[in-house]
Amino acid sequence: MADVVVTRVWRYRVLFVALTFLIIFARLLPLDAGPGRLPGPDLLVCLSFAWVMRRPSYVPVLLIAAVILMTDILFMRPLGLWTACVVLGSEFLRAREPFSRDLPFFLEWFVVSVVIVAMTIGYVAILALFAVDQPALGLTLFQMIATCLAYPVVVLFSAKVLGLKRMAPGAVDQLGHKL
Amino acid sequence: MASRDRGQGEEYARPIRRIMVVTLIVFLTALFLLWRIDSPRAERFRAMLVDKFVPSMDWALVPVTKTVDMVEGFESYARIYEQNQELRRELQQMRAWREAALQLEQENAKLLDLNNVRLDPALTYVTGVVLADSGSPFRQSVLLNVGARDGIQDGWATTDGLGLVGRISGVGQTTSRVILLTDPGSRIPVTIQPAGQRGIVTGDNSALPPVDFIEDMDQVRPGDRVVSSGDGGVFPAGLLVGQLVTGPDRRLRVRLSADYERLEFLRVLRSRQAEAVGPPGGLIAPEGGPPRPVEEEAAVPEDEEAQVDG
Repeated sequence: MADVVVTRVWRYRVLFVALTFLIIFARLLPLDAGPGRLPGPDLLVCLSFAWVMRRPSYVPVLLIAAVILMTDILFMRPLGLWTACVVLGSEFLRAREPFSRDLPFFLEWFVVSVVIVAMTIGYVAILALFAVDQPALGLTLFQMIATCLAYPVVVLFSAKVLGLKRMAPGAVDQLGHKL
Repeated sequence: MASRDRGQGEEYARPIRRIMVVTLIVFLTALFLLWRIDSPRAERFRAMLVDKFVPSMDWALVPVTKTVDMVEGFESYARIYEQNQELRRELQQMRAWREAALQLEQENAKLLDLNNVRLDPALTYVTGVVLADSGSPFRQSVLLNVGARDGIQDGWATTDGLGLVGRISGVGQTTSRVILLTDPGSRIPVTIQPAGQRGIVTGDNSALPPVDFIEDMDQVRPGDRVVSSGDGGVFPAGLLVGQLVTGPDRRLRVRLSADYERLEFLRVLRSRQAEAVGPPGGLIAPEGGPPRPVEEEAAVPEDEEAQVDG
């Protein structure tokens, strides 16, 4: 019995890493090298938060940190800062996950959006504090809004295609432990 | 059995987990501080990791890119007739220009020969294939499949055969990163022809980077050619950058000659270290001549300062 639970957790962890690689791969394709394009949503953040709000055990904090740090390195961002923001945001959501199980989706969406906005503001403010060259604020805000708007889509994809449902209040696993 | 282990574990798991998260945050913050303080070292580390990671995806990156390009090419078959006509007209014009260029080249060669001019030996180049872009809409850079193994060095200029594309910044063993002229971190000294005004092309994440620090705005007009000036010795002079245009915000901007929509093969120009010309006295006075008066040298900057102050 315990093996079944453990296997499923690991299967979803591997799936998470695979999705991450897919997203990074798509972003690295040299198809849109030109300037002047509007930034799309940060799908990795959406995916991490959607999974944290559903099955926190599938996305442990170290996995999130490793994945986002890799994108920090590959996408030429300042090393570590955005990862720290995402880790803090996901920990905030993870701590509130047991209480938000019976909330309607709109409230969950609102909470996640607030977290994303707070992360972006913190990120921009710290970069400004350390006098790092930054892209135009408008672009950053646009990406933030796009990320918030993409969240329901990612949730829908996770639920319908990957079968990741929100846990019911007081759900137990097969061994009878509280989740 | 298992349940008792878990029951005991949960009491300890929570504080241990909290310590782990705090350690993680401290580690990430330290990494950021390290990046901010010792940027070159952190960027070398990044180049090394990218060098390990991206070429291993090469087998998948290239086919997918080619397939998408082919699909896009297929869509353009729809208006192949108009395209053909357009190309014929352009070809006709090009022939006329080619004729003019050949005549000018001959004339130029003759004049150079008459004047006994010694030219800079032609720049040689390494051609690389674009592997990946920066992956972020905020940074404008591409990754080439040539690196330190092929003798690439930081700071070398990169063109697409016609216009300047950017400069090398970050070299791994088999890959190197080209910072495009449109990147917010890119600054290139340029000369605006024919007036010969100096300026600096500053990337700002838009397709038309602005030109700053032009001395005399009256002498330049939209339509003027912009070429690299070689000031500061980091870049070879005379590489075509683009044409001057007036942007929607009335600032002078450059329409880049390089085709940024189709960055596929890039040439990295091998530039030699620019020979530094020492103090003018060294050129004029003979070896072992009388020592130059020291007061004069010290006096010059003071004069200049006084002028600036006044």
